[in-house]
Amino acid sequence: MRIARTALATAAALTLGLTAGCAGGKAGPDGAAAATRVFAADNGDVTIPAAPKRVVATGYAVPALLEASAPLVGVSTWNRGIPLMGEADRATYEKLPKVAGEQAAETNYEAVAQADPDLIVIGVPKPALADIDMKRLEAIAPVVAIGPSVPKAWRELSRRQADAAGSLAAFDAVRAEYDKKAAAGAQKYAAVLPKLRLAHLGAYGEVGKGNFQREFNGSWGTNVAQDLGANYYGEVKVRGGGSKDVSEYPSVEELSTAFAQADALTYSVAADGSLPAPVKYVLDSRLWKNLPAVKAGRVFPLRYTEAATYRSALRTLDAADAAFAPLLTK
Amino acid sequence: MTALVLRRGGLSLRVRRRTLVLAAALLLAAAALAVAGLCYGPTWAGPDRVYEALSGAPGGPHVVIREWRLPRVLAGFVFGAALGAAGAVFQNLTRNPMGSPDVIGLDAGAYTGALVALTVLAGTPTQLTAASVLGGLAAAAVVYLLALRGGVSGLRLVVIGIAANATLSAVNSWIVLRADLDIAIAAVGWSAGSLNGVDWADLGVPFAVIAVLLALLAARSRAVLQASLGDDLAVATGIRLERLRLELVLIGVGCTATVTAVAGPVAFIALAAPQIGRRLAAAPGVPLLPAALVGAVLLQGADLAAQALLAPVALPVGVVTTAIGGCYLLWLLAREVRRTPASRSRP
Amino acid sequence: MILRRRSTRTAALLAALALLAGAAVLSVGVGAHTIAPAQVLRAVLWPGDSADHLVVRDIRLPRAALAVAVGAALAVAGALVQVLTRNPLAEPGILGVTAGAGFAVTLGAAAGVAGGAPLELGVAVLGAAAAAALVGSVGHGSPLRLVLTGVALSSVLAGISLGLRLLLPEVFDRYRFWAVGSLAGREQAETAPALLVIGVGVGCALLLGRQLNAVSLGEDTAAGLGVRVAPVRAAAFLLVTVLAGAATALAGPILFVGLIVPHLVRPLAGASVPWLTAFAAAVGPVLLLLADVGSRLLLPTGELPVAIVTALLGGPVLIWAVRR
Repeated sequence: MRIARTALATAAALTLGLTAGCAGGKAGPDGAAAATRVFAADNGDVTIPAAPKRVVATGYAVPALLEASAPLVGVSTWNRGIPLMGEADRATYEKLPKVAGEQAAETNYEAVAQADPDLIVIGVPKPALADIDMKRLEAIAPVVAIGPSVPKAWRELSRRQADAAGSLAAFDAVRAEYDKKAAAGAQKYAAVLPKLRLAHLGAYGEVGKGNFQREFNGSWGTNVAQDLGANYYGEVKVRGGGSKDVSEYPSVEELSTAFAQADALTYSVAADGSLPAPVKYVLDSRLWKNLPAVKAGRVFPLRYTEAATYRSALRTLDAADAAFAPLLTK
Repeated sequence: MTALVLRRGGLSLRVRRRTLVLAAALLLAAAALAVAGLCYGPTWAGPDRVYEALSGAPGGPHVVIREWRLPRVLAGFVFGAALGAAGAVFQNLTRNPMGSPDVIGLDAGAYTGALVALTVLAGTPTQLTAASVLGGLAAAAVVYLLALRGGVSGLRLVVIGIAANATLSAVNSWIVLRADLDIAIAAVGWSAGSLNGVDWADLGVPFAVIAVLLALLAARSRAVLQASLGDDLAVATGIRLERLRLELVLIGVGCTATVTAVAGPVAFIALAAPQIGRRLAAAPGVPLLPAALVGAVLLQGADLAAQALLAPVALPVGVVTTAIGGCYLLWLLAREVRRTPASRSRP
Repeated sequence: MILRRRSTRTAALLAALALLAGAAVLSVGVGAHTIAPAQVLRAVLWPGDSADHLVVRDIRLPRAALAVAVGAALAVAGALVQVLTRNPLAEPGILGVTAGAGFAVTLGAAAGVAGGAPLELGVAVLGAAAAAALVGSVGHGSPLRLVLTGVALSSVLAGISLGLRLLLPEVFDRYRFWAVGSLAGREQAETAPALLVIGVGVGCALLLGRQLNAVSLGEDTAAGLGVRVAPVRAAAFLLVTVLAGAATALAGPILFVGLIVPHLVRPLAGASVPWLTAFAAAVGPVLLLLADVGSRLLLPTGELPVAIVTALLGGPVLIWAVRR
């Protein structure tokens, strides 16, 4: 990481939230520091600036705050979200200094300190919080942890993340756009989709373990399709907490038992339409080809199922609309 | 042989001049590495800034240096010394350059103990420490007992340790795979030793324990040296061998397990440091002081390398020590072969 | 007891083969849900389109075949190494040969070299040969030193792999498979080349047994029997690396099979290398099939990589072998 002389000067002005007075440098957010409010986060009630000027985001908060045009000064890497980012957001993401890797454990505390934030928004699942030294981050700036619990919760989470970063207006505009499009789509498929018993094959199985991922209502692969009226029947055998409340990983041997009752199947594909290895593994097996829904030709690939923000979910909606189109012609 | 005798209170140490010079040089190197470690980070702080920070100046970067970098640097020094000393103890006991605790399965046993504490018990720091010490002790005891027939010296002990290591590692992966997600995440962080994120709160008890153990060891250093030169000599000078051995094993296991409890398994320091120290000191046996100091320098250096190699991604220091230590072990073995060509024809 | 008479040995070999058949049926029957042996037999002989039949034919039979091939390859390689080095502790896994093969495949894949299965196989064999040469040149002389050298090499490679994985997570996460050996999820992979190589390799090992027998009696005796020592040793070395490399290409690094099996069958084979090889080829698959069944039973959700089960079994065997 290259360190310019100015960065050192900025770091010198960094006060770790202990003293507010010595921020006499050029970047000093003198006026805004006064107004604060209390925000309810996963880590309790946190006092944060009412209008943050320098925000560091990690995990799922990265795409959410990029879209809400929050005043970001540092982000964690978020490779899985790159294909879903718009041009402008992507450019911003590339330009921002990276303060953490994909894993919570790879948080580089000194890099966070160097970014000199006045608010840190952590968007990692609760178990991963154990990997983060909260005390260290709290010494730098107020920390709000808003992590995904169940996948479909991204809707409220991204709103709270935008709220914390003081960018609600931009957020609500995108959400309104999404809601409108979803309502129109639901209208379009009202006659066909709600009647089908659907099942979804997710992209996070592991070929090396010989399993596949089945997603139920409220999971990553299913929640946007549900807005079009899709209904995924059944539920997990054992609730594993978090995303494992709505998805499970049975052995590929159980493929026919799992999907036998389904009228139609959907499966996750990559942003470019290609099959992820765990999906290809299942689709290539004869057990899959032997399923009633597959024999009837009722299989629909869904793109952009990783969407965790309204703007990217707009793409998911379009993709699902295109995928389900054959249902209307039949 | 030039030697001088230091007397302080009741404790008397016979120290060779070369060892003293060496110790001074190693301390200097450790100090230099410590300063480098305090300066190094995403923002390089000059030594002047480090000095300001250490003398208690307020302000962000100073706190970073005092509260984040200093504990890490000190942990590198103290833990390295503990591992080096523990390695020397075991290498003396087994009279075998490869008889170090990490090779004979102590680390894996301590990790098993920690895993049990994490999965079965609540996983509080005290439980973690106690369980990993117990796990390490149990593994060492089993390996020791299994190797007892025919004497503990020789490569046999090491190979039995390797076997125990393999079995325990398998058990460890099984526990991790069975565990719930959040426990598994916490446990995997444990599998390669790391000093990332240690702070003062983590270090108080371990430092105290290690200080006591090293003091106890220093008090026995003379006996250790004599015992390492031969049982007969030791018995002739009035050392009760069995008791000494038991004490030494407890000290060695205590050092290793304490470090493992805080930082996870940091392999190969205990293997390499005593051998390097012995060569630098040109001493008979495996002297303790050079081993401890070389261990401190090695761990500090490895930790700096771990931070710098793939920056900004921080590598666990255990990965660096494993890779480097493995190379060192290979070199050690290769040298041994070259030195004793006669052994080639041995069946 | 050591069996000496040829007829007794033949009977023992037949018994081992019967055991192999039983283990195979068991391994095909056990899984996410149990399939009765009769049903297994029906699926093989009169294949239908029912889900159970598809599971047996498409998933469990390929997996069992893999276990048989890998088990035979590792056990025979282990027997050959033990004869070759006159070292009862030698084994391709412990000596770091499989670790070398796995590392080479990971590296090759990351560099974009190992495209198809045949190339992957080639890279694995090269890695195995490099590791074997290195460990052999450093560790020869004492049996224990050889083991230590292998372990040192394995840990260096493991350290480097972990570092690389942290450096290039997206490239290396796909090859996590190569870190721990497993038989799961391989039924669609292109396994024919490696299976063929293993078949040929085991056959060659059986043919080479008589010559190796002579070599194991000492160089003078071998010369007296008209056997040229150097080519035989070179051929055996080649077979070990090819077998270990192919087994690793199929299932990732698996330790201890090559150690356990020769020790198990030595009382049956006595000093005869051909019999040792034959018994190893029959009993190795039994061990791996049973370990694979164990790997499915030990973990209620999902499964344990089979290499962990063999390590669980192998550690104690190594201790026992050292203490003898």
